[in-house]
Amino acid sequence: MKINDLECNGCKLCQPYCPVGAIKNPKGQGKAVSQIDQEECVECGACLRAAVCPKDALYMPELTWPRTLREAFSNPLVRHPSTGVPGRGTSEMKTNDRTGRFRRGEAGVAIEVGRPGVGATFRDIQVVSMELAKVGIEFELQNPVSALMVDRETGRLKEEVLDEKVLSAIVEFKVKNDRLESVLKAVKELATKVDTVFSVDLISRIYPDGSIPTVPIAKKMGFSPSPNTKTNLGLGRPLKED
Amino acid sequence: MTHSLHRRGSIEDLREDFVLLVIPPRDENSQESEETQGKMKQVWEVFSHYEKDLSNFGNGLSLLPMDVLKSNKAKTIAHAVFKDRETLKACVRELRDRQFGISVVISGLYEEVNKICSELDFSPHTVEHSLGAHGQTERLPGKNILEITTMCGHHTVSPYLAMHLVERINKGKMTYEKAAKELSRMCTCGIFNPHRAENILRRLTSKA
Repeated sequence: MKINDLECNGCKLCQPYCPVGAIKNPKGQGKAVSQIDQEECVECGACLRAAVCPKDALYMPELTWPRTLREAFSNPLVRHPSTGVPGRGTSEMKTNDRTGRFRRGEAGVAIEVGRPGVGATFRDIQVVSMELAKVGIEFELQNPVSALMVDRETGRLKEEVLDEKVLSAIVEFKVKNDRLESVLKAVKELATKVDTVFSVDLISRIYPDGSIPTVPIAKKMGFSPSPNTKTNLGLGRPLKED
Repeated sequence: MTHSLHRRGSIEDLREDFVLLVIPPRDENSQESEETQGKMKQVWEVFSHYEKDLSNFGNGLSLLPMDVLKSNKAKTIAHAVFKDRETLKACVRELRDRQFGISVVISGLYEEVNKICSELDFSPHTVEHSLGAHGQTERLPGKNILEITTMCGHHTVSPYLAMHLVERINKGKMTYEKAAKELSRMCTCGIFNPHRAENILRRLTSKA
């Protein structure tokens, strides 16, 4: 996103709408117009959608590769080129009653790098993907981060994307429950290795007796599963059962 | 795309915050089919029965009035935000009885969602837990601000906007209701809960 400095009157109305605080009035530069820090801007479009600029000074320039990734991962209204739909990940468990992607005995894991709200560069995201690759997971092929990998064995991403910053990106995979403990240990260790924050999601089938086998494993590994969850009610038909 | 998962708050607050999602699978060409689109239109008709009790709703792409969503060619997802479990339960009952065969997901307190399923005599299928935020968590805003911003899973509701609006309320330049609506309009999916945001803003300003 850019600001036409011939139009901007420096009113600052747009500034609080930027989720990453990238719009500022630089000091000591004569006319106090607002400017967008292009390193920090994730191209989410929030400032433009806010439509608060009295001078219509905000505009979206034509983005070129690899900067286009910022918009694809950060603007929820933009269709992602690798998945063809808006959003940063996949349908994961939302349609699991129809797709059967996660079966009994399997856990789905997602590491949302940059969430909540801090943002991340693909360099941070690569740290996550490469550390997790070491414990032998298989990345979800439909996921847009997987599409940027040059080597799915090591989790290495394309060199030219590493300095691009996005609001968040999701590294997704599934593992057998008997391997979940070692994977969550590696996830725990990521906390000291990344230069941002990350949120962790854990998916499981609910067993007929109501038990959720991933929860005790997560607790054992020092995580506190949230009391609020996303729950697929199983109303999809035809129903995929194991 | 776990945009409704990592909402934060006390158990009491979360009792007023349930997001219902109805979504067909992406990979069967089914989202675009006439049959699915027709069913999604009917889903919106079901949602419309509860409109006065909803805190928010949306199709993931733009914030449109219920009448438009009901009559438009339905899109890929339908969201509705409930502020009480009894209305949520009534809506889930209707969705179950209409047998659309489309996946239905609730983001909210598992204990309550599980009870609703039990009361309606079916068992939930799959669950996703948040295991929290890790790494440089010292870079996160304060607890109350985070409770507001995490109601937009894509994080296009800015913490700076929340703080700015708190300041405006404190100066008597804005009402709680208007501030909550201003925050809500920045979440294009329609999963932000302005009813809950208003309560959080009251807490934030009473501390000021």
